[in-house]
Order: sequence, then C-alpha cells, then structure tokens
Amino acid sequence: MKISFKINGEDITVEVDGNMPLLWVVRDTLGLKGTKFGCGKAACGACTLHVDGIAVRSCSYAVRFAEGKSVTTIEGLSIKGELHPVQQAWTDEIVPQCGYCQPGFMMATAALLNRIPNPTDQDIDDNIVNVCRCATYYRMRKAIHRAAEINNQKV
Amino acid sequence: MANKETKKKKGWSRRKFLIRSSIGVGVVVGTGYFTRSIWRRYLAGIANTLEAPYQGTTTAPGLWFEITAQNQIILHSPKVEMGQGTFTGLAQIAADELEVNVSQVQVVHAETMSGNIDTFATGGSTSISSLWTPLREIAATMREMVKNEAAKQMGTTRENIKAGNGIVTDGNDSFTYGEIVARVAEWEEVDTPELKDISEYKFVGKPVARIDLNAKVKGDPIFGMDAEMPGMLYGAVLRPSMIDARLVSADTAKAEGMPGVVMVVKEEDFVGIIANSYYEAESAKNTIEAEWSANKTWQYQDIANMIKVGQGDPQTIQKSGSTSGLAQVEGLVSAEYTSPMGAHAQIEPNGAVAHVEADRATVIMSTQVIELTRKEIARRLDFDKSQVNIKPTYLGGGFGRRLHTPNAIQAAVMSKAVGKPVKSFFSRQEEFQNDTFRPPTHHVLQASLSEDGLIESMEHNLSSGDVALGSPMLPAIVGQVFGSDVGAWRGGMIQYSGIPNYKAVSWRVKLPFATSWWRSLGLLANTFAIESFMDELAIKAGKNPVEFRLAQIDGSDRGYRLKEVIKAAAEKAGYSDEVSNGRAMGFACSTDANTPCAQVAEVSIEKGQIKVHKVTCAMDPGLVVNPDQVRAQCEGSVIMGMSASMFEKMDVIDNQLKPTIYGAYKMARMKHAPKEIDVVLLQNADAPGAVGEPPLGPIGAAIANAVFRLTGQRLRDMPLKLA
Amino acid sequence: MKLKKSLIFTALSFVLLVIVYSLDGREKIVSERVHTETDQNVEVFDKVMSVVTHKRCMNCHPADDFPRQGEDSHVHRFGVQRGVDNHGLAALQCGSCHQEANNLLSGVPGAPHWSLAPKSMGWQGLNKFEIATAMLDRTKNGNRSKADIAHHLTEDPLVLWVFEPGVDNEGTEREKPPLIKEDWITAVKEWIAAGAPIPAEE
Repeated sequence: MKISFKINGEDITVEVDGNMPLLWVVRDTLGLKGTKFGCGKAACGACTLHVDGIAVRSCSYAVRFAEGKSVTTIEGLSIKGELHPVQQAWTDEIVPQCGYCQPGFMMATAALLNRIPNPTDQDIDDNIVNVCRCATYYRMRKAIHRAAEINNQKV
Repeated sequence: MANKETKKKKGWSRRKFLIRSSIGVGVVVGTGYFTRSIWRRYLAGIANTLEAPYQGTTTAPGLWFEITAQNQIILHSPKVEMGQGTFTGLAQIAADELEVNVSQVQVVHAETMSGNIDTFATGGSTSISSLWTPLREIAATMREMVKNEAAKQMGTTRENIKAGNGIVTDGNDSFTYGEIVARVAEWEEVDTPELKDISEYKFVGKPVARIDLNAKVKGDPIFGMDAEMPGMLYGAVLRPSMIDARLVSADTAKAEGMPGVVMVVKEEDFVGIIANSYYEAESAKNTIEAEWSANKTWQYQDIANMIKVGQGDPQTIQKSGSTSGLAQVEGLVSAEYTSPMGAHAQIEPNGAVAHVEADRATVIMSTQVIELTRKEIARRLDFDKSQVNIKPTYLGGGFGRRLHTPNAIQAAVMSKAVGKPVKSFFSRQEEFQNDTFRPPTHHVLQASLSEDGLIESMEHNLSSGDVALGSPMLPAIVGQVFGSDVGAWRGGMIQYSGIPNYKAVSWRVKLPFATSWWRSLGLLANTFAIESFMDELAIKAGKNPVEFRLAQIDGSDRGYRLKEVIKAAAEKAGYSDEVSNGRAMGFACSTDANTPCAQVAEVSIEKGQIKVHKVTCAMDPGLVVNPDQVRAQCEGSVIMGMSASMFEKMDVIDNQLKPTIYGAYKMARMKHAPKEIDVVLLQNADAPGAVGEPPLGPIGAAIANAVFRLTGQRLRDMPLKLA
Repeated sequence: MKLKKSLIFTALSFVLLVIVYSLDGREKIVSERVHTETDQNVEVFDKVMSVVTHKRCMNCHPADDFPRQGEDSHVHRFGVQRGVDNHGLAALQCGSCHQEANNLLSGVPGAPHWSLAPKSMGWQGLNKFEIATAMLDRTKNGNRSKADIAHHLTEDPLVLWVFEPGVDNEGTEREKPPLIKEDWITAVKEWIAAGAPIPAEE
C-alpha cells in the first residue's frame, strides 16, 4: 500500500506492506541507518524515533499508522547541521562507547526534554529505560542534565 | 550504500607492500605456535609481561598508514573498535611517533585483503597493550620514511629534515607530509628508528575525545548492521530455540510461496530463506514448520548439577607451599559460591553481508575474529582464504559474542546459492537462544586462619563450563594439551601471595550447549567467590577487610601494584566498616591480566532491593594512553558487572532457553546505575596493560560484602537476592 | 464574619450532600440485589465478570500506578507507569510501544487509545462483586450511566481487544477470556437490561 508521511521535515510516499515496521522502512527503504535494530520487540529502545513528537519504538510500529504523520529520526534531530542540544551534551560528556544504542537514547532524551525541560534524576530513571550493554548510563545521566542546561541557555 | 568508498590513494602504493607482506607470512606462521602459548598464559592472567604479544602479520608501514594529499593520515587497524576506545588510543600512539596532530589521524578497519591482519582476535583487553610497541615502531618508521623522501625531494639528507605537526622542513622550505607523499614514486625503506621517550609524547596520556564520537552522536552508518551492497537480498536462517537440538525436518512449502521470497536454501546444517526485504524473509521464516529433536529433556537444574566441584577433570592451576590436610584442620572456614549462565545481550545482533562470486567472497560485518571468520568462510566455500575479503565494521558491542561468527558462513552460503549479495542477521530471540553463553560456575573455598588472624592455608576449587576450550578460536588440541580451561581460570588464582600455603584447582565440565567468552571470562565469577570469601575470613579474624588483604600480599612488583590500588580505593572512598545512614561499604579487589583493580561499593537496601549508590574504582593498568577512555571502561565495567551480579540469569526449561527478550532478561538500566562512579587511575608500570575487562572483577563481591554489613546476609549466589 | 459563616454552611451542606448521595447509591444497589436476584441473573452476572476479572482486562486495571502484563500478570517490564493522564510518562508513553492494533511481529499488543483504566477503576485486589459495584459507581466510572457502561463494554475497541489479544513476543497466542466476543456482548446487554444486578456475595 501507499503511505505518505513526513520524514525529517520532507514529504515522502512509500509503497510497502502496511504492516512492515516503520523501522525497516526508515532503514532499508529510505536508507536512514541511524535508527537501529536491537530486538524487534520494543524492548531495548535502539529503534526509538519520534512520531508527531512522541518517542516511539519503530520496530513495533506498523508503517500504515504513520500515514499523515511527522517522523523524526536521529538524522533529523540536528538543525541545519548544528548538533541538537542532546547530541551536543552527548559530545561534551563523551557518552558513547560502541555507540549502537545511542541514537535511541538520544531520541528518547529529546522527547523527555520536550515535555520536562529540567528533568530530575527520578524523571530520568522513570523515562529513560532503553538498554545500553556498554552500560554508559553514568555519563548519559550527566549528559541529560547537560542537555537541559544547553536548552535553557538557548531559550 | 552507506559505507564511504575508500578514497583513491595518491602516491602511496599499498600493492607493493602487499606482495612483500605475503612473503613474510611464512615467517609469522613459523613462530605462531610459540606465541599462542604465551597467549594461553596471557588469557589466564599469568603471563608476566604487561604487554600482550603482537599477533599481526605485518609491520610494513604502508599497510598501516595512508597519507592523503590533503595530509590526512589514515591508520588501518587490524583490531576492531567495539566501544573500548581502541581506535582513539591507536590514533594517539601513532600521532606521537608520526609527529602529526591527533586530529589529522583517521582510523579505519583494515580489510583482510590489505594483508594487515591480526591473527588472534580483538579481545582479552589486549588491543592497546599488544600494539603499543609495534605501532610506535611502525609509525616512527613511517615518519622517517617520509623524512627520507622529503630529503630527497628537497635535495638534502634525512638528518637535516625536521618533522612536526604533519609538516617537514629543512629550515627553509616546508611541506606537508601529504605533499611529499604525493610526489613519491618509489619508496625507500629505512631502519626502524629509536622510539621517543614517553615524556616527549603530546597525545599519549591525554584525555583525547573519542575519534568516533561525532559519527556515533550523529548516528552515522558505521556498523555491520548498516552495511549494504548493490542488489542485496535478505536471508533469514531457521535456528533452534533449545539446547541439544537437532533439526529433524523443516516444511518450507508455505514459506516458498510467501511474498518477496526469492529462494529457500537447505543445507545440512541450516535452512535459509532469501527474500527481497528483511521483513519478508522473517515473515516467511515464521511459517516454516520445523521439527527438532533433543537427546534428552534438560532443565536448568540439570545443568547446575553438572557444574559441581568434584565432577569432571581437575587440574591444579596454582600451588604454593602445601595445603594438604586443610580440610581436616580445626576451625576450617569453608564456603560455596555459584554464578549462573549469562547472555552477552549486545544490542547489535550478529550478522553479515556477504557477496560470493565465482572466484572471491566479500563480507562486511562486525566480528572480533577477522581471521577466523575468513578461514571459516574459505573452508566452507572451498576457497583459499586469500580469496575471501573480510571488511570489518564498527561493532555494536562485542563482549566476546563475536568471537564465533557462523552467521557469516550462512550469509556466504546463501549468497553463493542466489548469486547476489545477501545480508543475514540474528533476531533477538535467536540471539538469546543461540548465544555462546557465560558458563555457570561453582566454587568451593576453604581456609584456615593462624593465631594472629591471618590466612595459614587456602584453597579455591572452581567448576565451570568451557570458556576457551571448545571455542573454534583455539585448536582442539589445546584442550588435550592443557587439560583445563584457561578462560574459566581467569581470576581464579589466589592473588594473596603472602599466604604461606595456597592452591587453586579448576574442574572442567562440558555442557550440552555452547559456552564461551563473555567479557572478562571467569574473572567475574571467580572474583565474586574469592573476594566474598576473603571478606568472610576478615570478619572471622575480626579484622578490617582492607587491612586483612594488605597484610597478605608479598613485596613483589605485582604485590606492590595490588597494594597500591587497594590503598587508593579505600582512601578515596573513605572506606569504613561501619554502617552509616543506612548505607554500608563493601570492598573487593582482583588482578586480571596483570591489571590490579580495587573497588568499594556503597550500598543501601531500598524497598527490599539492593541499591548501589556509589562505586569507587582504583585501577593500575600501567601506562594510561587515554585516561578518559580508561575511565569510561571502568564506569561501563562496573555497571555491566553489577548487572551480571545482581540481575542476569539465563534459564533452561524443557530445553528451551529463556528468557528471549530484554526486560525478561533483567539487566541493569539507568535507574540501577550508581549515581557516582569515582575512578582513580594509578600507573605503576611503564607500558599499557589490560583495561577493558579487569574492572569487571571486583564489583559483585564488593556489593555482596556491603550487603552483609547492612543485613547480616551473606549472599553466595549470583544473581544476588536478599532473603 | 458573615462570609465565613456562609462558607462553613456551604461546606457542611456539601459534605452532607455527598453522604446522602453515596448512601442513596448504596441503598439502590442493595435494593436491586434483594429484588432481582434470580438464578438467571446470577448466571449472567458471572458470565460478565468471568471476562472482566480475566487478566486480559485486569492487567490494565491496576489499583496502583503500574500496569501488569503476561499470563502471570507480572508488573509491566521497564518500569512503565501510569503517568498523569493514564497514558504513561513523558518519554515512555503507552503509545511509545502500543499502537492501534496488535503487532504480530513484535508481539506488542495494540488497540485504539491503549492506556490504563483510571485509578478509580483500579480493580486489582477486588472480588467480582466489588468490581461490579465500582463499575456501576458513577463517582468512579467516569460518570457513566448503565447505558454508557453497556456501550463502553460492547463497543470500545480497547475493551473488545481482549477477545483478539494476539501473540506475545515469542509468537505464542495470548490466553483469551472464557467467553467469545459475541457471547460477551449478549451477556453484557442482558445484564444491563436486567438493571445490572449484583448478586449477594456467597
């Protein structure tokens, strides 16, 4: 079936099986590899992207539900080539190790900051539940607070 | 296609060196067995050299470095980057001897076709330590070669050329390395110069930001999973969900008619579905009606019952003085500990993109064993290994999971069958069901105390499934020659060399499924057992556990370094035996691959659960090339070790491996991670040692020891559970 | 002073009203129990409650802030929480994973407006009589009349999801409630038509 939606601000139409996970449409049909496959069961968060601003696990999101919606991936998080505050904070704190899960974490964090601009440690514990096997959580927490700071400075 | 095409190399012929290195291979093979035996000792953590042996095939600078006309230095690394920061360390090391700025250095994975191959693996915390000397020599030689060519071009001698920041000058004119290299027609070899004094290094020892940081923050397509080839299809492989399983039959009739399916491949050892998309391949695979048989019905308890000290083949792995009669000593202190079967659970599934043509195979993938993967594919396709080119990518986590890569063979076989490139990878469920697990272990510790409250005699008996043995990485003969498993021993020896009599014995048990390398191998479980027991002994002796340990370490270099990390951790954490504000501290230390590490965990009990608030980690990995990345390894190891100690356990129910999903396989997440991790780095050795695994050792025991102080409960089984 | 007095009066009358109202409600239910308790009513009631008390319903009617999941009704993994609007937390919404239909590939269940029942409808820990009482209680049920309840129970796709709950993450079919959808709809309608009688507890 034909499905039309916005991807990182651009209108596109794809012709695929409507039950195909958005993840594979984004990765293989659209060639945007920043959104990762980790489990295919919505359990690890590596495939997190935004649909209409909400953090969504795209491995478990049938593409037909994206019709008319706006999808943002890690590639669309930076604005005019400038790193998004979350990406900047991740850089400042040198968070990634293997880096595979990090786009998902950054997308989840960006969604968190949209709704809770100054998250407490408790907010971070409650909301950021993705899995990082390198266990970079210690730096991630610092980076999330740092991203909130960068955001505040910009406002 | 995501992967950048290699830039056209100007002025630097790599082909020439390729020929030279292929001549040199024979020499390397001739000495191979000898170095492997060092390896075995190294894996067990008993090799006395701090530096791991270099197991590469070439030191020809042209196979390591490309210098572009734009003066960018491209370092082709035979070691893979899996998060451990090796690429950054290598760039720093190379930059200092090359006399270039570290920002000029780009590091890429060397393809096997280049001839620059590490014949061992990326693992065992050896990448930086094994390349420390050779890479400096290669880089220094490269620098002198550039200077030599510059001298020729500028009409002077090499002595008159100075190099710095990637620029050569004779005092009057200056050129970039790139400009010089672009004009070279025929390189002249030079002797390897003397290395610079470490004190002259500008980048080694500095917290240079990871060179892959920007790519990883932007989500660039750098992983095996991101690789594509033109015209690529997707292959899904039918895999067993249970241990001890044999495929009896697979009805693929339905799958063959599913949309997008191009071909069904039936081999003796697997069934694969090739389709136009991953979704179609997986959907079709799910329709296969497969029948599996097993020799018997296994439950986890059956496996646990096999792993018992006293069963299987024993081998004494360490002995000092005599411990005979220990079991009969009055006042014998004795305790048993266990650790469960664990999964790697790396987030990027194992996979590969393979393209098999008439006379060659090209494989893009994440692997820790480039050479083994190459050999296995060659064997299966009946190719010479020189016909197989492995193009390694960044790894989405390694942890030992990618030390065996049958998936690459499957991708290659499917590609050959269909005549097109095929990408194939594990589903998450298959990852959990077909992992090469961390084996369960059982430990019996016994000791007698002297009148002055010190250990008179101590024994550690450990039972474990295979770690190193049975792995395709080591020839089968190693098991016969060696008897027991060096990987299982890791961390199993008693590091308290001041004890008059001690002994460690390893019991080998072969389990009905693959167990193998898991970051730090036996270190996690062995340290949990020994260091929990040390805490029990200290309490029995009425001594402060830190002082109790310090009193039983000899004055050797090794002992000195261990004592220093113990003191540093205790001091930095302000270690105290007393429970304060509902929190207690637990202490533990280990020596792994010559890197001593001590940790203090600060713990409370919240809502009946163990909560780790702060971990202080002091480690002496020798010379620290990049303190930021060594810290990162400590932080990650502490949390990963905590996760394994407190939460993780694979189960076997009627042969089925469970769980098969994150969440059900409980792992540490953000909310469990300590809010403070304080890392202290000591450098009481002048070469870089192991970093990526040693800090995983102490954490389990440190937590358990703190829990005892808080609750009086001595938790002797991982994962730690309060009564 | 005058103002204060009138305030107190208002407050007192409000409290009284609440008491009267709740007494009235209880009275009604009790009287229904007395007058309409027949074997058939008990049977219909039990049919309805056999579905309502099934884990497919109960897992998302927690009395606390944590949804349950699975056949063993374990606490939902990943620390999923109710959130202020019953739709989860800022970056961990129900809709982060649950879409408008079951996902047969991932095993994540889905239906329109996937969310937790409001806390006032937290049924876990209650028996079927208590659940039915709560269900009919307009202070707890979102001010639904019996007709509204019937509509909700027989038309809302999220409620009807329980009859087509899909597969779990391993592809195993989720257990369905003891009635099929058509029998459920019939039973609910009969029960409501009879005045939604709640039999006396045995």
